[in-house]
Amino acid sequence: MVLVVNGAYDDSGHEDPGHPERPSRTEAARAAIGDLRLGSDLVVVEPYAATRAELTRVHAGGYLDELGAYCYAGGGDLDPDTYATFDSWSIATQAAGAGLAVIKELRRRDEGVGFVVARPPGHHALSDRAMGFCLLNNVAVAAAALRDQGERVLIVDWDVHHGNGTQAIFWDDPGVLYVSTHQWPLYPGTGSASEVGGTHAIDSVINIPLPAGATGDVLGRAINEVAAPVIDAFDPTWVLVSAGFDAHRDDPIAELQLASSDFADLARGVAGFAPRPGRVALFLEGGYHLDALRSSIHSALSALLGDARPDERSRGGPGLEQIARTQSARRAAIETLRSANDDEEAP
Amino acid sequence: MKSVATIAVGYDGSPDARAALRWSLQLARALDAKVAVVHARGMLEHLDATSHPEEMRRDLSVLAQECHFDEANLQWFVDDGDACSVLLRAGEEPLSADLLVVGSRGRGKRAGFLLGSTSLEVAQHSLTPVVIVPSAHAMD
Repeated sequence: MVLVVNGAYDDSGHEDPGHPERPSRTEAARAAIGDLRLGSDLVVVEPYAATRAELTRVHAGGYLDELGAYCYAGGGDLDPDTYATFDSWSIATQAAGAGLAVIKELRRRDEGVGFVVARPPGHHALSDRAMGFCLLNNVAVAAAALRDQGERVLIVDWDVHHGNGTQAIFWDDPGVLYVSTHQWPLYPGTGSASEVGGTHAIDSVINIPLPAGATGDVLGRAINEVAAPVIDAFDPTWVLVSAGFDAHRDDPIAELQLASSDFADLARGVAGFAPRPGRVALFLEGGYHLDALRSSIHSALSALLGDARPDERSRGGPGLEQIARTQSARRAAIETLRSANDDEEAP
Repeated sequence: MKSVATIAVGYDGSPDARAALRWSLQLARALDAKVAVVHARGMLEHLDATSHPEEMRRDLSVLAQECHFDEANLQWFVDDGDACSVLLRAGEEPLSADLLVVGSRGRGKRAGFLLGSTSLEVAQHSLTPVVIVPSAHAMD
């Protein structure tokens, strides 16, 4: 199986000294790809800057204008977490375009798996606001492009933080199913199990909040029990993954306890939701411990390419009891929304 | 008209936030209301090197004393998220604030950003009445 990745672009200009979201993250990701020694099975596509038309599928035009102008005026802090520099606009649009380029190549080949090595990450970016290190929502831009082509898109977000931006963008779109596992409570404070989608897209959001300390076995079981039946019914034609690796136990800004090898199981499981080869792409989101990032990406990609490794997984963390509560909260929220819809439709 | 029992004020340690807090304490004293000081904990605060909430909390005591405000009616509330969302949530349970107060500029440099301003966003989206304390008060 081939791995389709975007070629490197110069992201060194998007950096704030001491900030954990830094250029060495993409260097670590590319090192992980190199570790795979894929030879001719590695397909590199040229990234390009996403166009305004491609970006306005998910972002407000006014926001894009302001963000661009802010960067070209020299940038600065957008909020206490999120920065922009003079080069950030150019780099962020290439990050969004990198995803589109990888998807396009997967479509053309109809085989392989994709990995979008891009920063800044995207899943916190709202339609009209940067936040949580994110400027443009890369995975949402790609999903919206696929939606325009009539695809049903599953987005699985295993970053340790809830992808509030992605959820909000597709909140009322029945053609996108958003599934997130995340530590809770934690930034950005969204992602409760009772958030299940809008009135036109009930059950199109599946949030699986997990307590600090949760391990890979808990995540896997939660996805199988809570999300898998809904995903099967949704029958996606594409699977995009907001692949953050900050749920790793060594990551400095969160407290889940996954080992690198757990990402192999996660990746294999998520890829199993795709209808056929060539319909799965991972997008780099978080992950701030460089060694953990490199080894976790290596594990995930190895699994997707068919290399099963018997490494040690994390086991026995808290959160199993949370799964039943998640199911219960979801059922109640879905029932409430459906009742409200029925009341509106009643003569 | 509903009486104001709880005032929630956004606080990030900036001069504008201090001005908003001072204004809230003075109003609360006049109305015999409680003040919930709401701090939005961002992603970077999970890194020790950049975390200052305890420092901010100590500032509150000093400000309360300066404003002759009874600290028993002062609540420190930390919630994960961006400043706008966290302050909006203060209008919901469990805080259920009757009034939200925010400084016109926070720690970010995006104060002049039309779409990015926390104070404007809070004012646009809040179902609870909002007061924006102008920057000039930070000079008092």
